[in-house]
Amino acid sequence: MHIQVESLTHIYARGTPAERVALRGIHLEIGPGERVGITGPTGSGKSTLVQHIAGLLVPAAGQVLLDGVPAHARTPEARARRRQIGLAFQFPEAQMFEVTVFREVAFGPRHLGLGADEIAARVRWALEMVGLDPDAFADRVPFALSGGEMRRVALAGILALKPRVLILDEPTAGLDPRGRADILARLRAWQAQTGATLILVSHHMDDMAGLVDRVVLLADGQVVADGPTGHILSDCDRLRAIGLSPPPAVALLEALRAAGWPVRTDALDVEEVVAEIVRGSISHKDTKAQRI
Amino acid sequence: MNLLLPGMYFAADTVLHRLDPRVKMGAATVLMMLPFAARHPLGHLLTVGLVGAAVLLSRAPWRALLGTLRTVFWLGFFMFFFYFFTTPGRPLVALGGVTVTLEGVLAGALQVYRLCLLAVIAALLTYTTSPLQLTHGLEAMLSPLARLGFPAREMGMVMTISLRFVPTFFEEIETLSRAQKARGVDLSSGPPWQRIRNTVPVLVPLFLSAIRRAEDLAVAMEARGFRSQPHRTRLYRLTLTRADAIAALIVLACGGVGIAL
Repeated sequence: MHIQVESLTHIYARGTPAERVALRGIHLEIGPGERVGITGPTGSGKSTLVQHIAGLLVPAAGQVLLDGVPAHARTPEARARRRQIGLAFQFPEAQMFEVTVFREVAFGPRHLGLGADEIAARVRWALEMVGLDPDAFADRVPFALSGGEMRRVALAGILALKPRVLILDEPTAGLDPRGRADILARLRAWQAQTGATLILVSHHMDDMAGLVDRVVLLADGQVVADGPTGHILSDCDRLRAIGLSPPPAVALLEALRAAGWPVRTDALDVEEVVAEIVRGSISHKDTKAQRI
Repeated sequence: MNLLLPGMYFAADTVLHRLDPRVKMGAATVLMMLPFAARHPLGHLLTVGLVGAAVLLSRAPWRALLGTLRTVFWLGFFMFFFYFFTTPGRPLVALGGVTVTLEGVLAGALQVYRLCLLAVIAALLTYTTSPLQLTHGLEAMLSPLARLGFPAREMGMVMTISLRFVPTFFEEIETLSRAQKARGVDLSSGPPWQRIRNTVPVLVPLFLSAIRRAEDLAVAMEARGFRSQPHRTRLYRLTLTRADAIAALIVLACGGVGIAL
């Protein structure tokens, strides 16, 4: 699906003393199958922006077009497009209400009006996708699961809708490091399998680095930068200027560079960083040797 | 939060806002009794004048006051017609078996006038007094009963906590309904019974989170050593000022005159 955000403005509590402008004329275009990260400090408008893309909010000005149709319109075409967008809110496990894991995951597909066989197949597929064994989990009570398992069930509930655009708002918040790495790996596998658009909202730079190709930087309701992940995340000065901390790998390389080591600073994963340090240390020795 | 409910506290700095909550609650009680106790038309005129003056002093937006009246519209409507048709007296018109009497029209109008005044007085109290001040005042007024074993302080605590969570729950309802909408539930259309069924995905998580919050809050309060039994002091204490005394005198005097007339 082609997503176009055109001079989108959103104002909370309009006309009251608590009025607050959350988005100021945002322009953004996301093509089909793109993997995009949206980041920015708390209150920069990330969550508001993705709720607009999902058609859940009505813009104060501007619009969001999904394949050319306004996202919030009350027309059948707009509704059909909204149904192809899956949005997982922050802490999605807080929305669970069913008595079994199966019914919880099946809730969305049931509202799509699918047949019983198709629903069962989707539930199995979605649970496997998030790394839960359908036979072991389908009949369990969602509220008796661990926090990490609840998060997976909630995400499976969204995946079972088979969205063409999946929006995840801080999907790893509150998970332990292993749980995070695992969820991110499963999302990567899901995206590779379906080829759907993935929009990841996070202020964990590390989550971004492993999952998206493009990063949109928001600050104070405006887009301050938009470009390839490595390019945006290695710009330490800009990240710090809006109150974010660069990913640890980049921070390390930057510190080395400041100490006079000739290394690049746009390497994001550990192996790249190690390679860069090794390369840098060799040439560092060479220059030292030359000087002597 | 996007909504402005009828009767919601309206922050401002007026004489009415600064009055002691105990005085305001007492005055509201007296004013609410007046339209029922007054027998002479002059007494009613006095009441309306006093409430009108209070409305002007409060600087409450007219739109908000009209909103308050709208909440009692249907009640007033039915009350009016109930009296309209059932009061015996001099017949005015006969409408197919039912006779409308002059006394009926007057009695109906009187009830509507009383209802409107009650609504406006109650709204004025909540417009000009923050929920926290209200509970604080109520607690202070109930405190003499504490000696008889009535848990006044605990009541105040319970009220403060519940009021504190009203906006939180509104926000939560908003988020939950958006989240379920994103999962394909259409909350705002369909046949009525379907719509009622569609509230389950919002209400169940809401109750769960309310219970969880209550547990967390209880643990947090205990962890900070909260106890209701020993005497607790307050950061802000209620003190009566000269303005409070004047306001109380005016209301009491008008009340006395209104009833005596």
